[in-house]
Amino acid sequence: MLTLVSLLVLSFACQRGDQQGETATRSATPLRGGTLVVAISNDIHGINPLISGADSQTTAVLDRLFLHLFEEQPDYHEHPPTFAPSLVESFEWSADATLLELELRSEVSWSDGVPVTAEDVRWTWQAQTDPDLAWGYAQSKENIRDVEVTGPHSLEIHFHRASPSQLADLNEGVILPRHAWGDLPFAEWRSNESWFVEQLVVNGPFDLESWTRQEQIVLRRNEAFPRPGLPRVDRVIYRVVPQKQNQIGELLAGEVDFVEQVPPSEVGRLEQREIQILRFWARQFNYICWNTGRPLFADPEVRRALTLAIDRQEIVDALWYGFARVAVSPFLTSTWAHDPDLEALPFDLEASRRILQSKGWSDTDQDGILDLEGQPFSFELITNTGSPVRNDAAVMVQEHLRRAGIQVRLRQLEFNTVVSRALEHDFDALLGGWDIDTSMDLTYAFHTESIEDGYNFGQFSDPEVDRLIDAANLETDPIVRVQQLREIEAIVHRTQPYTFLWEPQRLSAASKRLRDATPSSVSPYFRLEDWWLAGVD
Amino acid sequence: MSSSTLGFLVRRSSAAALLVFIVLSFTFFFIHLAPGDPTLVLQDPRLTGEQREAMRSAYGLDRPLAAQYLSWLRAVVFDADWGISYVHSRPVTEVIADYAMPTLLLAGAGLLIQFGVGLLAGVAAARHVGTSRDHLIRLTAMVLYSLPVFWTGLMALLLFSYNWSLFPPGHLRSIDAASLSPIARAIDLLHHLALPALVLGLAAAGGTARFTRNSLLEELGQDYIRTARAKGLSESRIVWVHALKNAAAPILQLFGLSLPLLLSGALVVEVVFSWPGLGRLTFDSILSRDYPVVLATTALTGVLVVIGNLVADLLHGVTDPRVRQ
Repeated sequence: MLTLVSLLVLSFACQRGDQQGETATRSATPLRGGTLVVAISNDIHGINPLISGADSQTTAVLDRLFLHLFEEQPDYHEHPPTFAPSLVESFEWSADATLLELELRSEVSWSDGVPVTAEDVRWTWQAQTDPDLAWGYAQSKENIRDVEVTGPHSLEIHFHRASPSQLADLNEGVILPRHAWGDLPFAEWRSNESWFVEQLVVNGPFDLESWTRQEQIVLRRNEAFPRPGLPRVDRVIYRVVPQKQNQIGELLAGEVDFVEQVPPSEVGRLEQREIQILRFWARQFNYICWNTGRPLFADPEVRRALTLAIDRQEIVDALWYGFARVAVSPFLTSTWAHDPDLEALPFDLEASRRILQSKGWSDTDQDGILDLEGQPFSFELITNTGSPVRNDAAVMVQEHLRRAGIQVRLRQLEFNTVVSRALEHDFDALLGGWDIDTSMDLTYAFHTESIEDGYNFGQFSDPEVDRLIDAANLETDPIVRVQQLREIEAIVHRTQPYTFLWEPQRLSAASKRLRDATPSSVSPYFRLEDWWLAGVD
Repeated sequence: MSSSTLGFLVRRSSAAALLVFIVLSFTFFFIHLAPGDPTLVLQDPRLTGEQREAMRSAYGLDRPLAAQYLSWLRAVVFDADWGISYVHSRPVTEVIADYAMPTLLLAGAGLLIQFGVGLLAGVAAARHVGTSRDHLIRLTAMVLYSLPVFWTGLMALLLFSYNWSLFPPGHLRSIDAASLSPIARAIDLLHHLALPALVLGLAAAGGTARFTRNSLLEELGQDYIRTARAKGLSESRIVWVHALKNAAAPILQLFGLSLPLLLSGALVVEVVFSWPGLGRLTFDSILSRDYPVVLATTALTGVLVVIGNLVADLLHGVTDPRVRQ
């Protein structure tokens, strides 16, 4: 989904570790106890993950209440992400990788003392795939043919076919309590959210103590959580503070301990006040999508000339204070799929002019704008409101392209309007951003089939890319798959359906008493149960 | 209640119901015609078109707009059923009930401050017309009225909360309010309410003060005031009992008109002060295309405005016998 990205900037202070540009709070001998207060911009949408939408805030909170089968690791820099057992104790693949045998941890129970069983896993899968319920992530389960219970804690997962994303797809969504929530038919779930709160039992590190809507969510330690000594804090309070400036004000006033997505302009002030700044590379890239269905952008060479004329490094330096980097392709440069030998196209105004001249564009009427057969090189660039950094970037792009003799008309639209126009391919160029997962599946925006049924806004179509995407999505040999992905990356890089602008880091700010906080691209609250507070009794 | 008053109430209530119906119908069609729908905003980008259609069907959005409108209208009129919130997954009436009280509390306190401070300042300015006190009040009123509530709110937070710690930094209550005694909880609530209500009320009080001053000055120039002075009535009695009563009609009209402004102002104040309420709920619901919630909050706001105007008209009737006739 296009994302509304707040201004982010990064710095570092009092952190341990700085590998790959990612940091965590300082560590020492952990203490147990205390209340951690976190500022959040929006309230959660509900307590049942299957009906609460794709809102990242809601997911971040609910992932503390319910366990996944596995825990995805933020280790995808050199290889695909690995999955550590969470609810699962052990697992074994069949030779053809279409059958996965799981053994659940027998000591895990729900907060009411009822054991977590294989029946919970099967029932959760049934809920996730129920057409009446229409879970937003149901597509991730399409490759699962059946979930068979073979014992109280044993399961067999039958897949239609082997694929590189089997574990990730299986792990999508948390396991829910059948004995507590199983009485209500799936078709009635979307109208009875309050019922789930009343019947709530959890198996994660925290339990829900109270939820005052639009005010705060209070989590308390789940005493039944099977990892000894964890969670370390007694309670976590998510306080709803809509304005980022107020979140920072409350952090500085000692009212909250942790603020996500800190704006760059605040970093210096926060560091002076001994606030810890934590950073990680967000799984996001920002881009200009060219509508290749329109004659102006149909020629890959012209799109290449447009990219060459935009000084992306200047945008990164000016808007991100250097805490972002120029994007190269739809594969983030910090991921295993990216070809390290492939570099971003340089800023080269002369090369851009030469390409456009070779295509017949010239300023025949001396008005400063290139023209061809009487038509000026002029187009509209749309972006969404609510993102100052994107709006500033659009202005810079306009100025860069003006120097190349191209007229850009800027238009800011409400987010939903941008998405709606993008889906209808009703735009010339679109400045947006993608939050992406680690599947490396580019079908969503680069496959021909996604023009009509997906998010291929710019109508990019390349049979070779389609073939390679399809092949890579089925390829289980990691070496072969890397080659396929890098071929896709090379074609996309060469044909520039997008101009890839920047990859941001994501900043969080923490009070000096917060320790062992390790926000990561998996979650800003990654392993919250390990976080602890210095100075508690 | 006299038959003329009853007839007046019936006429005005019928007109008000018609007005609310028209506003709701317009809102229904406008919000549905706006680009995007809930399945785009709420869900995973990997959702296929088929799955999105399944969701649209679950929400009833796959039917023709006229059919959606008629079934929505039928449910509202005959069953008082405002539907299910797409975002909150529960009945809209439950959602509204959660958020209405904080907004009504804030708007009510703001209204009290607006008319309390505005009337006092307006009367003081009129009684001392042309003096430095009058100039000071007019200038202050103009400044208060001109400053954007958003900016005033942020400055108030910065100074009175973050710098001087006189008031809490927003929110409806303290983190540990649930553990307080009922009296301590009430004090905690008032402490949290004070700053946002002052910001909301004082901005509007500027306009009320100028309005009161001008209206009162007009009355103070009337013959009956001169007569009252000649009869030796005290200046306070002349102003507060005689002149202000006759100057009240336009001020009461202002009261009715202030309700929608206060509700829209409350949205800004709710965001700045992290105050839970209808304003934030409506704003978020519009962005997420949560149609049932948008329609219900519009209806609630419309009804409040209509009631405000009705009360203003009735009070006008109380103060002015000509209106009763």
